[in-house]
Amino acid sequence: MGARQATAGASLLATIFAILLLQPSAALATPGFARQTGLACEACHTVFPELTPFGRLFKFNGYVFSNVKQLQDINEKSQSTLAMTEFPPVAVQLQASVTSLGHSLPDTGAPAVTDLSQKNTAEFPQALSIFYTGKISDNLGAFLQVTWNPNSNSIGIDNSDLRFADHGSFPSLDASDFIYGVTINNNPTSQDVWNSTPAWGYPFIVTNVGVPRIATALIDGTLAQSSAGIGVYVWMFSHLYLEASVYHSAKTGTSNAFTGGPGPLDSTFGMRISSTAPYWRGAWEQDWSRNSLSFGTYGIKADTHPGGVGQGGPSDTFTDVALDAQYQYIGDSHIVSAYATWIHEDRDFNATAAANPHNTLNTARVTASYFYNRKIGGSLQYFSVTGSSDAVLYAPAAVLGSANGSPDTQGIVAELDYLPWLNTKLGVQYTAFTKFNGAASNYDGSGRNASDNNTLFVFIWTAF
Amino acid sequence: MKANAPVLTLACLLLAGGIAEAADSNPALDLVRRECSTCHGAQGISTSPTFPNLAAQTPQYLEAQLKAFRDRSRADPHAQAFMWGMAAQLNDAAIKTIAEYFSKQPPAQGESADPAEVAAGRKIFEEGIEKQDVPACLSCHGDKAQGNEVFPRLASQRRGYLERQLEAFAANLRENEIMHQNSRHLTALQISQLAAFLSSQ
Repeated sequence: MGARQATAGASLLATIFAILLLQPSAALATPGFARQTGLACEACHTVFPELTPFGRLFKFNGYVFSNVKQLQDINEKSQSTLAMTEFPPVAVQLQASVTSLGHSLPDTGAPAVTDLSQKNTAEFPQALSIFYTGKISDNLGAFLQVTWNPNSNSIGIDNSDLRFADHGSFPSLDASDFIYGVTINNNPTSQDVWNSTPAWGYPFIVTNVGVPRIATALIDGTLAQSSAGIGVYVWMFSHLYLEASVYHSAKTGTSNAFTGGPGPLDSTFGMRISSTAPYWRGAWEQDWSRNSLSFGTYGIKADTHPGGVGQGGPSDTFTDVALDAQYQYIGDSHIVSAYATWIHEDRDFNATAAANPHNTLNTARVTASYFYNRKIGGSLQYFSVTGSSDAVLYAPAAVLGSANGSPDTQGIVAELDYLPWLNTKLGVQYTAFTKFNGAASNYDGSGRNASDNNTLFVFIWTAF
Repeated sequence: MKANAPVLTLACLLLAGGIAEAADSNPALDLVRRECSTCHGAQGISTSPTFPNLAAQTPQYLEAQLKAFRDRSRADPHAQAFMWGMAAQLNDAAIKTIAEYFSKQPPAQGESADPAEVAAGRKIFEEGIEKQDVPACLSCHGDKAQGNEVFPRLASQRRGYLERQLEAFAANLRENEIMHQNSRHLTALQISQLAAFLSSQ
């Protein structure tokens, strides 16, 4: 190819890139909520899935805000008895990815290890979801997600939230309106509206074939989709959020209808909540100009049965007390977000074999992200899990264990994203561990180093 | 024919009842209660600085804006993201009802702000800035910033909203030739001072 052709080719590429970069980012992204409301994605999301203050309000209001023709019915007093959107607010989400581990995994023969990435893993799709997200009736809405997972080759319920919400006012204070509601969901913190809590926290997408650390706090995803909870909340003065919920493990003893294997909640499955677990949440948000700042606390206290122990058997007690904060600057071109959370967990072991009857686990994450024109951006997170050492609980085992009995795991996540359209994210994410399960080198006692678990994750994530 | 008093009374009561019921189920006011109130508050006092207060706004201005959202001639980023969708299905009668409803609500109370900023903003509002070609705002918006027909009320408006609009006029993101000329020479500090003054009124 001559120099002139090369120049022409380069300028064509530059032009295409410029067109992609400059095209107006109006309502191109229209999954379920956008279909129902007629709003652009950016009304509710800075860059999905992070919510704007209006997105939070939309969720507080029970997902019922809508702008499409309704199928309606009224009773003799002209009260609405039905208000359903004419078309179902349905959407599809597709995630595909390539994961590359820092160092190949040894052939340990343990299924838990074989399931993980063998140096390089391509997944198409990594997850495929169908959503029903929107209004059911005047005060009732749903966020329902069903996902196919290639690891288990099964279809299962993903994060789901059914909520009733209404407005009230204090007679003594004029014009002070509040929103109250009831949520039924299957993952503590999935009902939350800030991205500083675990369920919708950063990293928003992760590989499902990375090496898992040895200890994770209960509130930090352990109960996701394996519990059912009901809670009441109130959003007052446009500033204060209060919620109280209880969670219970789902029915035990069922087998998986798709695989025929033991169901996720039978007695072979650990972390079954004995009776109910109380969950609380309080947060204060201050919005000014284009800024939004929030502080909060959340937590859960649960008695859980480990695997193999029946309903009436001994239980372990986990008490999680967490703090979180979030800051957003939402400009027309520049978007800056920061989220932080700190979770302190007291772990009392009466059922699980442990060297200490009482252990502690502290989880901290601090993240900052920046996006230009909702098109190009990146984020950086520092994470740290530290806790008391326990040689029995955190025992040595190839890849997954700890040689020194410490759960300490630390590192960073760095991510670059490009969004050709508001509903499609192309990303490269790198996770680097400075410490894994207690040490930087030979952490498992079998010669594996923390950096061997470093993960390069390339993904496409779209919803339509 | 002799009028039958009890029948007439009953007819009047039924008619009144019918009217009252019709007013209750006015679809435009249902819309206010269900949708507009999410951001602008049921009485037009907004729930966040992103969204403007509509209480006591002039009906002519509200009507013009809703029509501009509907025909997409008002195209600043937030208009596109929020109001294009919301206004798309409104007919002229609904727009009139909504505009009248919000215009009749009692105005918001002013927000507190730094007195020095307020004083500086008041000076710009009342006198303009001659050397920057900025005219006095009160000549169109009224001496108490109460608005006048299509010139909107600015008093007790949300500070963040006012700043955003002045920036959008200056950058021509919200197209309005008069406001573009009036705002394009304002500095960020002056915009902030003006917004502080107006939101405190």
